[in-house]
Formats: sequence, C-alpha cells, structure tokens
Amino acid sequence: MRFLNISKRYGENQVFDNFSIEVSPSTILSVVGPSGEGKTTLLQMAAGLLSPDEGMIEKEVGEQGSISYLFQEPRLLPASTVYENVELSLRSFCKEKHEREERALHYLDLVGLQDSLSLYPYQLSGGMRQRVAIARAFAHQCDLMLLDEPFQSLDIKLKYALVTSFIKLWEESPKTTLFVTHDPKEAILLGDAVCCLGNPKQPLLYQTIDIPRKARNIGDALLLALEAKLMGTLVQS
Amino acid sequence: MRSVKRNLVLLLASAILLIIWQVASLLLDSQILLPSLGPVFTTLLGLVREPVFTSNVLFTVLRALESFLIILVCASILGVLAGRYSLLSTFLRPFVTTLKAVPVMSIILLAFIWFSSGTVPLFSAFLMGFPVMFVQMEMGVKQLDSNLDEMCDLYGFSKQTKLVHFIVPSLVPFFVTGAKTALSMVWKVVIAAEVLTVPQYGVGSRMQLAQMQLETDKVLSWTLIAIFLTAFGDLVFALVVDGVGALKHRLDARRVPCVS
Repeated sequence: MRFLNISKRYGENQVFDNFSIEVSPSTILSVVGPSGEGKTTLLQMAAGLLSPDEGMIEKEVGEQGSISYLFQEPRLLPASTVYENVELSLRSFCKEKHEREERALHYLDLVGLQDSLSLYPYQLSGGMRQRVAIARAFAHQCDLMLLDEPFQSLDIKLKYALVTSFIKLWEESPKTTLFVTHDPKEAILLGDAVCCLGNPKQPLLYQTIDIPRKARNIGDALLLALEAKLMGTLVQS
Repeated sequence: MRSVKRNLVLLLASAILLIIWQVASLLLDSQILLPSLGPVFTTLLGLVREPVFTSNVLFTVLRALESFLIILVCASILGVLAGRYSLLSTFLRPFVTTLKAVPVMSIILLAFIWFSSGTVPLFSAFLMGFPVMFVQMEMGVKQLDSNLDEMCDLYGFSKQTKLVHFIVPSLVPFFVTGAKTALSMVWKVVIAAEVLTVPQYGVGSRMQLAQMQLETDKVLSWTLIAIFLTAFGDLVFALVVDGVGALKHRLDARRVPCVS
C-alpha cells in the first residue's frame, strides 16, 4: 500500500503536505509520532473513512478487500457475548454458520478465551476485552489490517502478553498492516519498518528492522539503539 | 442477605408512615379531617367486596394501559425518527416543549370541553406521558455510540445485524427509563382526569363522589387502591423487564457453541 503525494489539512493545520510513504505487502509498518501529527488521519485514509485533499492511496491487488481494524478501545457490542462479538464480524464473508462457528472458536481459543465464550464485555477485564477485539480482527477475513494504538491503555505486563499473542496470530497469516502507536518499544517489537511522523512533508525517520519478529528482545543492543533514536526524534519534533 | 435487609427497611418505613397517620389522626380527633387506620381499612374491605369494585378498578386500569401502550408506540416511533432526523426534531420541539410545560389540569379541562368523560383520561394521560418517552427515545438515538457504529461498518455488518445487535440493545435502557416514568405518570393523570370528569366507572370518579359527600375514609381507601395499582404496575413492569433480560441471556447462551 502506498500513500502517494497526499495532502490533508484541517482548517489552519496542514497535517500532510505532499507526503509519501509505502507499506510493503504482508509487512507491518509501525507509525509513531506526537498527538495531532496525523497518525489517526493516516489510518482513516487507509480505511477509506477519510479522503486526502490531494494525492492518492494505491493498494496492491491483495489489499483492496475488507479491512480489520483494531481500535484504541475494544469497541465490543455490550449486549453481545464474547462469542457473538467475534461471530458477527464473520457474517459478511462467511455464510455457513458451521464455518463461522469454527473460525470464531479457533481465534478465541488462540487468545485464550475459550472459557469465556458466553460472558458479556462488562464481565471481562480490560485485557480480556482487548483480546476479544484481537480475535475479532484476525477472525475477520481481511486483506489489510489497521491498528490504532490498541495496546495503549493496558499495564506493561498485559501489554507485552497481548503483543506476543498478536505476533503469534499475525505470523499465522501475515497481512499488510499499518500500526499506529505512541510507544516506541511496541513499534519496534511489531514493525518490519518504523516511521516517525512530525513533519507534514516527509517522515522524520524511517527505518526497516531486519531482525525476525520472534527473535526480537527488548534488551537487544540494536533495538535499544533504534528505540533511543526514535525517542530522540520524538522529543525533538 | 442484602435483599432481606432491604425488605426490612421497606417494612420499617411503611410502618413509620402508618404510625404517623395514626398519631396525626388521634391528634386531630376528627373522622372527617383524617380518619384513623381502623375505619379506613374497614371501609377499604367494604369497597373491595362491592360488586362494582371490579368495574371501577378495571376501567381505570384499562384507560391507563391503553394510553400507556399508545404512548409506547407513538413516542418510540417519533422519538427514534426525531433522533435520526434533526429537522424533524426541530419541527417537533415546540410541541414537546408546550406539552412539557402545560399544567395537567389545563389539559384535562380542555379535553373535557372537546371529548366525552371516558376519553378525557386517555387523552390527557397520553399528552402528559408522551414527552417523557419521546425525549428518552430521541436521546437514545442521539447518544448511539459512533465508535461502535464505525466498527459495525468496518466489519461489514448487514443492516439487520446492526439493528438487532447494536441499535436495539443501545436503545433498550432509554426505552425502559422512558416507559417506567411514563407508566407512573399515566396512573396519576388518569385518576386526576377521572376526578374532574367523573365517568361512570373509575377509581377517580369514586374518589370525587366520596369527597363530595365528605366521606374521607372512602377517599383515603380509594387513594390506597390507587397507590396499590401504581405499585403493582411498577412491579409487573420490573418483572417484565427482568424476564425479557433473562430470556435474552438464555437465548445468547444457547447460541454459544459447546466446546468439549
């Protein structure tokens, strides 16, 4: 997916000005940046919820279909059970009830919620709710995945547990993914490339990460150096 | 344990109310101003045994229920539409504001000029209860979670799925609050309208006739019946709401596949 020479303005605020960036097929691009610098705008344009004032978004053949979106908050239907929350998102592409059932159970099992199927969102902890949302995003057959700070409001232990389950699920069927976050650590742990917004014309920083995702360790010297660089860029911006 | 405690508190409060009544009656020492508990309960039992008692209560109940159902249907439909279309909301605002502000007695008196005595309670209760339900439903639609709405669209929910699993459940709390308030209002207005228009049967008519003959014990007995009707209506309503909730949970649980 390529953002080609896009411009976007909100009143006086020029968020993007002839800005271009590419997400390689079946990879994760992590986007960090201060608030109000266009992270969510980028996601909304990728989802087609927002159009750029100028420029265009080019998607590969395999990225043009449906989208899975993982939001900051879980966005679960409060009156539906955990199982239904996942199953309902499959109805648009999966007409067979049996198939939907199997798929929903598979993903709920992978996120460790097999014993909570008949619970309602209000009966779950924050982490469990976000896991339902992750299961829903993966169970939904999609060509493009958009993540809008989905691990933001969780404590550190839970955050890394969820990042690990996310990686496990993603590696099962890699999809072109745009991952927006505030946290440089998350960005580095998940991304095949990291990009820092802050200048409307071009990324302040863009760097690919060659270490395989599963082999990444937060204490690794290379990753720590990259994190420091990202932090530096963020602080300066 | 908690419910036992709550029931005990309720019982105690009711007992205090009765004691205050009895003490006040003893102090006033006048069966016309405030008869004591004993004679009022004897009169109440006598009223219940009368053959016309059922007709009186039944007509009041039917009027209240009829206007309540009409309110539910009309206010829900118009409220949802007004929540959805802001132009309709603006158009209806003067009507709703007027209805909210106008005194109950004005409506009843005007209605009595226009309609027969049996229709007045129905009409007045409708006009008084409608704005409450309407405002709730309109608010419910306006407060639909736009984040969830976006999620439904991004995950390709069909219109029907969205309606059944997102919109209707989001509106239910507003519907329940509106209906509950409208119901307790409807009893009061129906009885007030019966008092003023004196239709052949009705709790309010009996109250008015008793008052004219200075039969305070009868007025109080009918008041107790009215209180009982309102409380019973609230109880049935709460049971229906709980029952529907339990049924939904049971159906939801059935839809979850068994994992062995």
